[in-house]
Formats: sequence, C-alpha cells, structure tokens
Amino acid sequence: MITLTINGETTEVEDGKTILQACLERGVDVPYYCYHEDIGIDGNCRMCLVEVNGNTDKLTISCKQPCGEGMDIQTESPEVKKARKGVLEFYLINHPLDCTICDEAGQCPLQDYAYRHGPGDSRFVEEKRHADKRVEFSDKVLFDAERCILCTRCTRFFENVRDSRPIGVCEMGGKSTITLGPNGKIEDPYQLNIVDICPVGALTSRAQRFMQRVWFMDFAETVCPGCSKGCNIQAGAYQGQLKRFEPRRNADVNKSWMCDDGRLSFDTYNLDDRVRGFRALGADATIEQAVAAVRKAVGDGAGVAVLASTKNTCEELFAIRTWAQGKGVTTLWHGASTWAGDDFLKQDDATPNTAGAVALGFVPVPADATAPRGLIVAGDVDIPEHLLDGLDFLVVQAPQVGMLAEGATVLLPGRTAMEKRGTWINHQGIRQEVRPALDPGAGVPADWALWRDLADAGWPSFAHLRAATDEALAGVVPSGGAPAGDVVETSA
Amino acid sequence: MTLPMGNIISARFGKDDSCALKGYRADGGYDAYLAAIHGKKGTPDDITAMVKASGLKGRGGAGFSTGMKWSFVPKNTGKPVYLCVNGDESEPGTFKDRQILELDPHQLLEGVGITCYAIGAHTAYVYLRCEFRDGIRKTEAAIKEAYAAGLFGKDIDGSGFDLDVHVHIGGGAYICGEETSLLNSIEGVRPYPRNKPPFPAVEGLWSCPTIINNVETIANIPHIVKHGAEWHAKLGHPDDPGSRLWCVSGHVNTPGVFEIETGYSLQELIDGPCGGIRNGKRLKAIIPGGSSSKVLTANEVEKTTMDTPGIRAMGSSLGSAGIIVLDEDTCMVQANLNLMRFYAHESCGQCTPCREGTPWVVKILERVASGHGRKADLELLLDIAHNMEGRTVCALADGACWPLTSIIKKFRHEYEAKIQQGPEADAGTTAGASAPVGAA
Repeated sequence: MITLTINGETTEVEDGKTILQACLERGVDVPYYCYHEDIGIDGNCRMCLVEVNGNTDKLTISCKQPCGEGMDIQTESPEVKKARKGVLEFYLINHPLDCTICDEAGQCPLQDYAYRHGPGDSRFVEEKRHADKRVEFSDKVLFDAERCILCTRCTRFFENVRDSRPIGVCEMGGKSTITLGPNGKIEDPYQLNIVDICPVGALTSRAQRFMQRVWFMDFAETVCPGCSKGCNIQAGAYQGQLKRFEPRRNADVNKSWMCDDGRLSFDTYNLDDRVRGFRALGADATIEQAVAAVRKAVGDGAGVAVLASTKNTCEELFAIRTWAQGKGVTTLWHGASTWAGDDFLKQDDATPNTAGAVALGFVPVPADATAPRGLIVAGDVDIPEHLLDGLDFLVVQAPQVGMLAEGATVLLPGRTAMEKRGTWINHQGIRQEVRPALDPGAGVPADWALWRDLADAGWPSFAHLRAATDEALAGVVPSGGAPAGDVVETSA
Repeated sequence: MTLPMGNIISARFGKDDSCALKGYRADGGYDAYLAAIHGKKGTPDDITAMVKASGLKGRGGAGFSTGMKWSFVPKNTGKPVYLCVNGDESEPGTFKDRQILELDPHQLLEGVGITCYAIGAHTAYVYLRCEFRDGIRKTEAAIKEAYAAGLFGKDIDGSGFDLDVHVHIGGGAYICGEETSLLNSIEGVRPYPRNKPPFPAVEGLWSCPTIINNVETIANIPHIVKHGAEWHAKLGHPDDPGSRLWCVSGHVNTPGVFEIETGYSLQELIDGPCGGIRNGKRLKAIIPGGSSSKVLTANEVEKTTMDTPGIRAMGSSLGSAGIIVLDEDTCMVQANLNLMRFYAHESCGQCTPCREGTPWVVKILERVASGHGRKADLELLLDIAHNMEGRTVCALADGACWPLTSIIKKFRHEYEAKIQQGPEADAGTTAGASAPVGAA
C-alpha cells in the first residue's frame, strides 16, 4: 500500500494504481478522455492534468503517473483549474458545438466537462476548421471529423482489443483525422463498441443515429439475451419501445464490450403480435379456465413432457419445475437455439441461460426422443417437429402469436427476455441479475407469477421465489465452474 | 579580436575526398575505435566515465550530459541495447549535422562504433531525414566501406566485438527528431512522441534499452577517446566545454557553419566570421538555439557568450546552436507568424494543446499581421502559450511558445503598432516580411 494525500486528505492506495485510478475510486472528479479502463493508457488528451508535489510548471497527467509514496496530489489547485479550462478551450474552438443535433448530447463527456470545468465563453473569433461530416466507416458506423477530438480510443480499441488496424490517424497537427485503412470499410463484428467509447458524437451508429434523445429514455441494467456469454448491458426504452442496447462494464464477463449482433438485436424485442390473455380449446379464456384446462389435460402427468426455453430465468425455470413436480411430470427438457459464435465474446449457444436450466435439472431433448402424450412448451423455443406428431395436447406459453400458438390446446401469454425478472447463469457459470426493460402491458402476467398460479405454489412475492430458487441452486456447480448460488451483481 | 576557429569536428571538411575511408584512415581515423574495441581504452564503463568526465553535452538541443545518459543503460537485462543516431536535423536555422554527413561521415561512424562498444550495443541505426539525399548517399557509402574493411560486422578485427550499422531514412516530419518519435518511426508506427518515463535508456526501441544521440555529439566521441577527457574538458567554457558547430543564417554577409569553442562572444561571431549584418544594417534580434528558443535583442546579444551558461543567463537556450540573425528591417510580427506556421505545420497532433493551440496562434497572428488585430489579442496569445507550455508529451509546444512569447514581450510595440494602424498598414511592408527562418 502507498500512502499519499489527495487534496489534503491522506489515503492509502494499492500498489500499481495510477493517480487517475486512485482519484476515480475515491470519487474525486478528474476529467479525462483518452484513458479507458479496457483499452489502456495513452496520455494524449491532456485533460487529466493534476498538480503533484506543488510542481505548477509541469503538471502531471494523472492517467499515466503511478501513485508514489508521500505524493501530494492537488486536483483543484488554481493551476490545475486553469490548465483544464485551457485544454477544454482548445477542444471547443474547432468543435462544431452542434449539440442540438448531436446524438451524443446528454451523455457527452465534452459537454459535461465543458459545463463542469470549462471556461464558459470562447475567446476564439476565427473561422472554425472544417472537415468531413459524414464518412462511411462501414455499413454500421458513420464518422464526423469535425466533432472528433482525436482521443484515439477508437483506433486503440481495434489495436489493443481486436488486434487489428482498420482505422488510424492520418495527417498532422490540426489537420489530423481518423481515417479508414487501405483495406476499406470496417468489417469487425464488434465495431459498434467504438461508438460507445467515443467521448463525443464523432462516431455514430447508423441504426440509432437521429433516432432517440438519451434523456427521454428509461434504462434498465440487465443482461444481453443474445447468447450464453451474458454481456452486461443497459437497455434503453422510450414509450414501450426498445431503442438501444449498450454494454455495461463487467470485468469478469464482457469488460466494456458486446458484439454488434447482440447490440442490434434490440428491435427484435419490440413485438407486434403479442399473445394477450388466455385461450383454451380454441376460445378466449380466463386464467382460471386456462389453469383448469391445463390441469385436466395433464392429468397424473404420465407421458407429459416440458420443453422450456433457456431464455427463461432460473427463477422461472424453478417455478416451472415446481409445477411439473406437483403434477407428476418428470420429463424436463430445455431447448436452446444456436448461431455461429466467435473467439471473443459471442457464444454458439444463442440463449442466455442454458447453464441455469442444466443446473435446475433440465436436459436437452434426446436425439431418440419420441413424441410424448402431451407437451408443455414454456417460452420462445425451437421445437423438434417430430415431437409434435400424435400429441394428445399441446400447451404453449409464448410472447408472440405464431403457427404453434394457433394450434395449441391451451395458449398462455409469455414475456420476452427483455420483460423478464430473475437471474441467468452464463457459460462461465456466473449468475447475473436480469431486470425488465419493457412492460408488456395488459394481459401478459409475469412468467414467474403465471407458473406460480399454475403450480398453486405459495410464493407471495418474487422475493420468496428467489429465495426458494437460491436454495435449489445452492451447492450446484454448473458447467462454467463458479458456484451458481451467488448472484454476481455488477455496475457500469 | 579574431575568434579562434575550431579545428576538431570540421578539421577534414575542406579536404579532397573527405568522405573516403582511405583518407580518413590516413588521418588516424578509426584508431580510437580499434583501440577501444580491443580494450586498450579500458572497459566500456571506463569509456562512459571518460565521456562523462569530458563534460560533453548533447548537441541536439536539450544539452544533457552525454556520458550521464550512457550510464543510464541498465546492465544485464537480457535484452539487446540499441544506439540510434539522430540525424533528423530539422530545427529551423540548424544545418550542422548535414555538414558532418556530407563532408566526413566516417568521423560519425567511428563515433558510432565507440559509442556502441561503450553502451554494449551491437546494432546502431543512423536516422537521417529524407531530404539529406547527399548525406544519405555518403553515409551509406561510408558504411559499406567500413563493412568491406572489416570495421563493422562480426568479430571486428579479431576483437570479438560485433556491430551492425543501418541507415534509416525518415519521411520528412520535424517531429521525428524528437527522440521517442524517432524510435516510433524506426518501429514503423505513427511517430507520436512517447510519454516519459520510461526513458529510452531503459525502455526505448522495441522496448529495449536505447541511447539516442545527435550526429554532432557522436562525432565528438572519437576525439575525446583519442585525446582524453581532460583535453576536452579544457576546451572552451569550463561549465560547457567543447568545440561546436555554429550555424548562422539570416541577415549576415557570410552565413554558414563555423566551428568555434564555447565561451566566446556572440556579437563577435556576427561581426567576425559572419561578416556583420548585410547591407550595412543594424542587428535587431537573434534567435540563438534553433527556432525553438527565446529571442535575444541586439542589446542582449552584446552581453551574450556562446555557451549554455552564457545564453541561459540571458534567459534563452543554446539548443542546437542554430543562430538566426534578424536585421532592423525585419517585421517581428511577420517573423513570429513565419515561425508559428512552422510549428502548426509540424505539430504531430497527438496532444490537444499543441494540435489546437499552434494553428490558433497562427490564425491570430495572421490577423494581427494583416492589420486586423485587436488589443486583446496580445494577452490572448500569451495566455494560449501559457496553456500550451508544459502541458504536452514532448517539447514541440514549448519550442513554439518560447519564440512566440519572447518576441511578443520584447517587441510588443511592433504588434501594437500593427493593431493601431489597421488594415492599411499591411500595404508596402512585404520587404520586411520575409524573415529568414526555416533556412535549414
């Protein structure tokens, strides 16, 4: 441990931390642009200057300087404040200040720091520098060279995280700009991360550009349902429609990143043809009628199988299992869909909770499985067609009206992955909190509550179900290795 | 008084075929090198100590003790050690390394050999700016000759010492003369200066210990090893000993490169070897250390001696000893603008204050020079300089601020006159507008 003082307060810092890290950990506001926890240190923006040991001639960039024993660090001295104002003035003289039409506005560190640390007015009376406003970096990303502050986070993301150089800096001095490399447009399937890490509106996502003001959105801190990696995200919604997914930092899972496929999947959760209310035997039904119909069809449970989607949370799966056990149904299958993963984040398993399903005793549909007497389908899942041959009855819980829902003996409403509550266990065995980003509205009860009602289980609230699920998972070690009982909660 | 013209570095400059190995050997060349690698000058550490004791300071601009720099190379890291010779001579007003490369490259190469032996390097890169076509050709030819004569290569002269010397040609950016940019340039990445620490002596080229020395610095090494530390320490000014190549450009009758020991009067250099100010004009100002140094007025020049302590006492720096002479007709607003255009053009763009500040300064000076200045502009320029100086990775911004602020402070009345006169003042001043900077 290193003992030093920050703004007169003595504190102990772990060895190897930089001054900036020490300040940020302690809530000391030191502005910065080029540093990024998961890209590394560069030291070009000169925003994070602090005064060390009274040296006002040469201020220190706090992002690069390791903490030293006995250091006296000042982050608010007159010289530091002047330097910050000076650097911000340099940034702003040629910046277009087009915040009113800029997508970054509202979540822009240039805007935020200009308010908090900036000079307030401009001494610049010359013509601003002009540059390309709309450079197609790819079919996903556009670049505005006038807004760019050249922190090089984007180029360093590719260099340091993706080991590639599709873009780089060209020209010199005030003419410096980010440019595409000789191989043409960016093709990296993780390229949209550069839009997130861009501290200004220079890089914009073509899927989201000019679509939605950030301050009107409600954000839910949840997990991407796209694959078994379970990248931590915040999902932004406006008036019941999802507008964007953005990664939240989790050092153990996705760091600060997510894949473009996962990110751009947000719109698939804005459904039109919702299943609202219940249907039994071809007619609209009340929940009581639906529950009675299911009970009658299942009977003593013999020859009945459950096929549960692995987009269900552990809590929902536990409720389904509880229902099944109460009804004598012993065949618990899970259905996961697949896509082509890669060697970075994206996994082959395109569902988020296969590990949770396995931990709770669900098994994949055996290759030689024959059609059961009756099939209970819980959630959005691909059903092997031969299982449908000769069914006496089919119960389907689904968010969206489809062919299968039409043919169901009993149709129950279901929620999408972005409307669910509970936890998912990712492929590493890390159990993560899932929170609803959307409210599906009338006629779509919470999945966990629906299965509770079907099971006549006595959980008055979700917390009771959660406690029961925790107990069921205690001691179970899913394939990833981490104990499934502990929910890993992370913040951005 | 006549200045004693030095005869050490430039001793062979006038000779016929001064670039050929044969002549260089005949003049005793490579004797010091061969003696060194056979251990006859002591251990490598002894040679480092000798250079340290000689008082030799780097000739590239920063003026750091050469022997001290060498001693920072860590021992036994298991990594190779590199020597990089900085021949990216681009400082406006500086053209001395060029003379060595074009007139006596073997002198440099002998210095390279001794330096590599002293610091434990077996690979040296001579980094030359691409515009030095003649210097590149001659240096490459000299290296070829040295290899052919068994002076470079494996087990040189049976000493067991191996050395490879490569020429690396820069692409024409001033910033590559900054030592860490030079390393990035050799590595093939964008030549942004690196944050220090780590210093190159510890973590330089390809993260290995690396010494970067100026061409003229290295050219001094054979002479020091040949004649001894004490000999060198007694040359010139005791606190900044040695013989230097002074580059004089601008409004003098005979501009050029003059080798003179340190410690003599700057005024005498102008009046003597340089033949005084041309056209019988009076001196107005001198920028003494390459363009990146603070301007001296004519009054200050009279009191200045040509050595680090002497120029420092006048508040400026000796830098690369590129002396830019400005006569009484020079418009100091235009001269400043000319200089600032250079820095704005050559700013690499890495650090915000320099990238944004230097072009801003140019825009303001253009306005002032054209008679559209405002009273507030002078304080604004000084404050912009304050916000740039000491706020960047390398010293380019500092090097821009020093002439900028010193010219404004010492010739403020010229700026105020321009502002007061308004746009009409622009007409008819073109004669004085061509400040002779950027001569290199």
